[in-house]
Amino acid sequence: MIITVTPNPAIDKIYWIERLRLDDGEMPLMRATQSHLTAGGKGINVSIFLARMGIENIAMGFIAGETGRAVERRVRTEGITTSFIWVEGETRTNVTLLEKGHEQRPIQITEHGPTVPPEALKRFFTQYKRALHRARYVFLGGSLPPGVPVQFYRELAHIAHQRRVPVIVNAAGEALAHAITEKPWLVKPDTRQHTDVAGVSLKTPDEILAVGKEWVACGIGAILVSHHITHDLLITPEGAWDLEARDVQFKNLLGAEDALIAGMLSATVQGASVIEAARFGMAAATACAESEELVITDRAAIERVLPKIHIEQL
Amino acid sequence: MKVKEIMTKDLTAAELTMTVRELIELFHQSGLSSVPVVNDEGRIVGIISERDIIEGALPGYFEVLYGITDMNHLSQKLREIENDHIEFYMTPEVIKIEEDEDDLTAADLMIRKNVKVLPVVNKDGILVGMLRRIDLLKDLL
Repeated sequence: MIITVTPNPAIDKIYWIERLRLDDGEMPLMRATQSHLTAGGKGINVSIFLARMGIENIAMGFIAGETGRAVERRVRTEGITTSFIWVEGETRTNVTLLEKGHEQRPIQITEHGPTVPPEALKRFFTQYKRALHRARYVFLGGSLPPGVPVQFYRELAHIAHQRRVPVIVNAAGEALAHAITEKPWLVKPDTRQHTDVAGVSLKTPDEILAVGKEWVACGIGAILVSHHITHDLLITPEGAWDLEARDVQFKNLLGAEDALIAGMLSATVQGASVIEAARFGMAAATACAESEELVITDRAAIERVLPKIHIEQL
Repeated sequence: MKVKEIMTKDLTAAELTMTVRELIELFHQSGLSSVPVVNDEGRIVGIISERDIIEGALPGYFEVLYGITDMNHLSQKLREIENDHIEFYMTPEVIKIEEDEDDLTAADLMIRKNVKVLPVVNKDGILVGMLRRIDLLKDLL
């Protein structure tokens, strides 16, 4: 059983449009050529991927209101076990615009999410500790809603490590900086908005390699960092590798990062080595980017793009 | 069909030390009307419903069937117990079912015991989901 934690889930609404016309008249009207509605948030996307790969998992987090009910219903429809904490307010609705020909640069509007009161946090920890009795891995990912302290992931990782359960963290900023002090099994910095962690830059491959080597020397199991749209660097105590996806036909980048981690995790659960798992994850991310699906589910599609993934040991 | 294939895979549960007020909040926010009560390991130690709370506030209400003539009376009684732990009001004898049992066994149990929902446990007795009547009805269609 794998636990995924999404502190700030969302309903993701995605619109595909022919052309952005923000300067056409006073009230520009854009008609979507197609749209897609799904439950989202990093952990939930990972949960959906794992469930579709036949891997049992529990989705945890805070939900509220009618959107929260919609998230819970959609997650359950995937056969995922739910263990959400209900709070007052309304779960986020995040909107994404994908303009034809510019799919690599989606326009996203995100909400803050409901405020989590101290008693809900306390209940979350109680349910989390209970769920850990059955867990093999824990995934922690995404932004923190108001009321959740920046030490949240660090505390969850600490509790998991007390039970000898490996932890994967995919976060940004202060939340990530705190989490890495617990030396997770895998760290994937979310560099979409923050290219630094605790004041350390992760922009260039050289910077990533230097920081990654330092982190694994401190006890972190592995670090995976995207440094280009088609390149990721994997650093482990055994070495460093550059993973490249070649000849990618981009249609949508929205779920690619989550597919990367979920693919890596699913391959690990099935016995793959770290580098084999990262390659499968990269293939999952590429298959996702080449489809309009937010969470790619077609194992055959993933295996078809495996030859596009090139690995170079550094 | 096995119970684990048709159950609602939800682990929403209460703990013995939860207060009546916290439970009412949980019911209100989640839309649930009953939840299992579990220990630290997730083993079921009871079940509690809205009805248990009303009975806790107004003991004998459902047996005597006297009408509520004054909402302030119920409100006052609820306030008297709002900080009590739910362990005093839950039903400790829980009718539950194992996840590997078949749907016929579950349906028979629900009918014989006249319950709308069965907590589902794994072979170690840990809560893994809830089987509702509607889960069975949907399975039959």
